[in-house]
Amino acid sequence: MSQSLAPECNEVKERYDTCFLKWYSEKYLRGLGTTDNNECAGLFKEYSKCLQGALKDRGIDKLLDEAREDNKENDAALMGKKK
Amino acid sequence: MVLTHTTNHTYSHPFPTVTLAFFLRYCSPQLNPFASHVLSTDTISSHVDPTTGRLHTTRIHLKKSRLPPAVMKLLPATLTGGNSDKASYILETSVVDMREGWMSTESRNLNYVGVLSVVERQLYTLPKNRPAAAADSTDVETKVVFRSRLGERIRDRLGEARDRAEAAAESSGGGFFARLGARGIQRSIETLASTKTQDQLGKSREGMRIILERLRHTGIMGVLELTKMASQRGMQVPAR
Repeated sequence: MSQSLAPECNEVKERYDTCFLKWYSEKYLRGLGTTDNNECAGLFKEYSKCLQGALKDRGIDKLLDEAREDNKENDAALMGKKK
Repeated sequence: MVLTHTTNHTYSHPFPTVTLAFFLRYCSPQLNPFASHVLSTDTISSHVDPTTGRLHTTRIHLKKSRLPPAVMKLLPATLTGGNSDKASYILETSVVDMREGWMSTESRNLNYVGVLSVVERQLYTLPKNRPAAAADSTDVETKVVFRSRLGERIRDRLGEARDRAEAAAESSGGGFFARLGARGIQRSIETLASTKTQDQLGKSREGMRIILERLRHTGIMGVLELTKMASQRGMQVPAR
């Protein structure tokens, strides 16, 4: 599995990725359990928690905010067009 | 200034498999030899909208910078952030609608946007007007928009005083910006990047095709097994 940008999160990321890909291919793609991928929610929470610090340290949280700000007008235009 | 490229392609694999390959495409360099420039991939959100049944996913990829070295050299450290690692964070958002049969994706760079912003949007759909082909092929439209705001940023940063100096330099025929012209730089960056992206699109398709072939032969569990074994042993998966 690919690396996490925070090496300390690699292990939980791999478990989450595997869970997600199994859920996606075995349930979502077959139209089962489309309400949510609850079975991976616990792993995702753990993974997210691990990742938060890394996103902050590297200033990615700020870059994300900037990107969202930058996109507001584009998004509005796109949403109007999309199905 | 904006440059746009649109291309169309048809994968000879069913739509669900293509969407799975999209999520798997940076999974491992052993699986996709064209993903060696991807240093990391992280999911920051993933949820199914209960009313529409659409899966919304946001991921961040760290890729080795694709800005050509010639461009990097041109730029002051204040714009590139003085980064020596030259890696770009890419924000990828995707929406899959399995009921309606489409997936829309968007990837954009998060840093260096002052130099060059590249936004790639893809729409994967069941084959249009060819219902008979729906079982084994998927259309994809890729639109890439390049935008360089270099000149605007430089103006913002240096302020009017510099603008006046520039104007004076222009009238006397000297000065770096007067010779190159901010618009000229923007245009060159967009053109360089778009030429490079044309190459890159071919590679990204080739990478998707390799993953699709593996999925066809071994299925998702086989792919996960291969990836795991390969990363544990640090060895190359033999090519089929």
